Amino acid sequence: MAEMPPAPPPPEPAPPAQRKIVLPPHRVRAARPRSQRIRDWAHYNLFHSRGATALTLVGLGLAGLILAGVVWFVFFEADWGVVTANRWLLFAGSFPHEKAWRLWVSLIFTLLLIGSAYGVWASFGRRDLLFIGLAGAFVIFLMAHGGASAESSLWFLIGVICLFAGYLVGQIVPRGNDEQTPIGAMLFRNGFSDPRRVRTLATRSLGAVMALSLPIILIILLAFGGARTRELDGFVLNLLLAPVGIVGGIVLAIPLAVGRASSLRLVSWLCTAFIEMVRGAPLIGWLFVALFILDDVIGGELLLRTMITLAVFTSCYMAEYIRGGLQALPRGQYEAAQAVGLPRWRAMQLIILPQALRISIPPLVGQAIALWKDTALISVILPLRELVGNGRSAIGQVEFIDSRIEAFIFIAVAFWVIAFMMSRISQRVERTLGVGER
Amino acid sequence: MANPPVYEPVPLIYRESIRRFFFQGAFVAFVVLVLAFVLVRINIADFTLGFLNDPAGFQLSNQWLTDIDGSIESRWTVYFGAVWSSLRVVLVCIAASTVIGVVVGVARLSTNWVISRLAMLFVELFRNTPFYVQIIIWYAIITFGLPQIDDAIGIIDSFFISNRGIAIPWTVPNSGLWDLGDWLVGVWVALLIALGAAAMALRARRHRAERATGKPQYANRWAFGLFAVGALAGYLLLGGPVSMDRPFIGDNDYIEGMVIRPEFASLVFGLTIYTAAFNAEIVRASIQALPRGQTEAANAVGLSTYQRLTLIILPQALRQMIPSITNQYLNVWKNSSVAFAVLYADLFAVAQIFNNKVGRALEMFIVIIITYMLVSLIISAVMNILNRRVAAAER
Repeated sequence: MAEMPPAPPPPEPAPPAQRKIVLPPHRVRAARPRSQRIRDWAHYNLFHSRGATALTLVGLGLAGLILAGVVWFVFFEADWGVVTANRWLLFAGSFPHEKAWRLWVSLIFTLLLIGSAYGVWASFGRRDLLFIGLAGAFVIFLMAHGGASAESSLWFLIGVICLFAGYLVGQIVPRGNDEQTPIGAMLFRNGFSDPRRVRTLATRSLGAVMALSLPIILIILLAFGGARTRELDGFVLNLLLAPVGIVGGIVLAIPLAVGRASSLRLVSWLCTAFIEMVRGAPLIGWLFVALFILDDVIGGELLLRTMITLAVFTSCYMAEYIRGGLQALPRGQYEAAQAVGLPRWRAMQLIILPQALRISIPPLVGQAIALWKDTALISVILPLRELVGNGRSAIGQVEFIDSRIEAFIFIAVAFWVIAFMMSRISQRVERTLGVGER
Repeated sequence: MANPPVYEPVPLIYRESIRRFFFQGAFVAFVVLVLAFVLVRINIADFTLGFLNDPAGFQLSNQWLTDIDGSIESRWTVYFGAVWSSLRVVLVCIAASTVIGVVVGVARLSTNWVISRLAMLFVELFRNTPFYVQIIIWYAIITFGLPQIDDAIGIIDSFFISNRGIAIPWTVPNSGLWDLGDWLVGVWVALLIALGAAAMALRARRHRAERATGKPQYANRWAFGLFAVGALAGYLLLGGPVSMDRPFIGDNDYIEGMVIRPEFASLVFGLTIYTAAFNAEIVRASIQALPRGQTEAANAVGLSTYQRLTLIILPQALRQMIPSITNQYLNVWKNSSVAFAVLYADLFAVAQIFNNKVGRALEMFIVIIITYMLVSLIISAVMNILNRRVAAAER
């Protein structure tokens, strides 16, 4: 046997001074004066060549024009009377004024949930606070009807307190890596004897409350002498229908996706046919069905039929994304589950679905945002008047007939705020769950 | 001495094939039951499409290239006219949103801070608001923000903008110098198509030659030159089979020229910009998915920014983005169904009018869904062919 050659000595690490700098100059954290860094940044990003300078100037000109146009329109041209006079109509429509506290309680409940969810799974950043502040100002503005703004400010204050209380409680829960947050460490200096169990308990109970939150909110709004279902309209209706559609959509999408990916031919074919049929027609087509055809099939309240339609419609799109996640899983996962002797259903539930769902979170959130925007279509077909429908009736008033642009821009902003918040929160969730990482 | 082990026969319920059979049978039975229930409840025996042969009884607005008189023509004819109206919107939107999407998507990745921020503003603004509300806003801006037709904004007496729409000069066939009748224009169009095909062939040949010899062959210039010279020669030889008609303002409406009505304009505007915002994100994501080495290599061989984009980055990103872009095209087709919110008579609007007249929701819905699915299938098929060609060009 030939003698092994002696292992070569490990190569000398290159001295750091010789390493080539690949970063643009302003990114180099050298001790340079701030003004110099700003100048470098501007040079690298804006003025590094004649073409870039021209582009920058054109862009700045365009930005200035847009800004000037917006300022001119918002502050000088537009007459926002249509919005200020119709806030309650836009926000809650025919929801009775004297039962407004039910709306506030639901809002506070939601804020409490959002706060604790944030506390358990993430931490507030400065931007989150800014957004919550903006959204809060927006809600106060909308709900301040007929001089009751002091009252609504008080309610909102309670809401904010609940938000932060929920957040603080959530922060007590140890993180996934058994560490405590700074707030948690402050309150429980000695920590928990069994941090993992505390976290499991906290996340499970929070999840349960979140799963039940929609029925709870509906009870708060409707039960025990609350509003009648046909009094639910305006923005409140959008805010109710979208979560129903999203949650119902995910619940229905999982069996549809598993069915489509199934090895049982007939099951797979039937699921495929159903998914493709629903995806074949636009949402307003299905709302048309909810209004005219579903009435003969199942009857019941129009609101309920709309909820079912939205959930089924969304589920078929979501099922496709979940199927993508199922296919993206390496075959080894299925085989490993079989090898340890798990029955097929348990393997699905414990091994396959959690991973597939994690992969498909980004497109699922995209679909949720799409559904949120699609709730604007409801009043096109149905006699349910959500925000856009009430906007139409607001500009139907004689004195506001010339303010339709203002009314619809306001409605667009209302949709935008929520959609933008959803996309930001989803980015948060993706980072927390480590989507795309192994 | 070891006896061979004796196995009990496996009970039938543990056999895979039996289980599969029964499970599928139960599933199918369930579906059949649900279907039967639905069919009974909607009274399927009443199903008829006969009413679609009766005259429609209303005028189809916003026609182009067709002249359907709704008071005599059957509902089928009016319906297909409306399908053509929808398709027009969708074709324009698909083309325009792709171009805008690519431009904005590239701008989003620009190293120029101002440009990338502007692109981001565009995307975040238009992607996160319902397209339906956007379309209403465009419609309101066009019909309420623009001047009345009497004070229309005129540009060099050929383009007019007012709340009755945008009027632009348009071609009309004429009998030409030799007075041979309107059909001459057909000859010229056929010639143009033939020239286009010839130009493409020439371009491909010159490209091949360039690749084989390494000498520049100026394929685009040659192809364009062939097309332009041929078109001009044909035009002159046929004695000028088309002429441009400038619009002018008559009694409370435009006369001649091509008028882009507010309904069509707002729908196309809204859908295009909405879809462009999504396309821009798709373009950005597929460019970012490329390895950084591609950009660096392009820089290293000294390509300009434009060359880097058109020769290196976009062709590779195209492969990645076709499936998502196809989805967006399908969405445009389905989203066009809100047309009647701005009083544009698309197929959904016409179907609704039929339903209001005869109260046959089920029949109309089935007709609609078949139409939507057929066109969706055509869009997917075309995009699949494109996808295959792009993927084949890989090696």
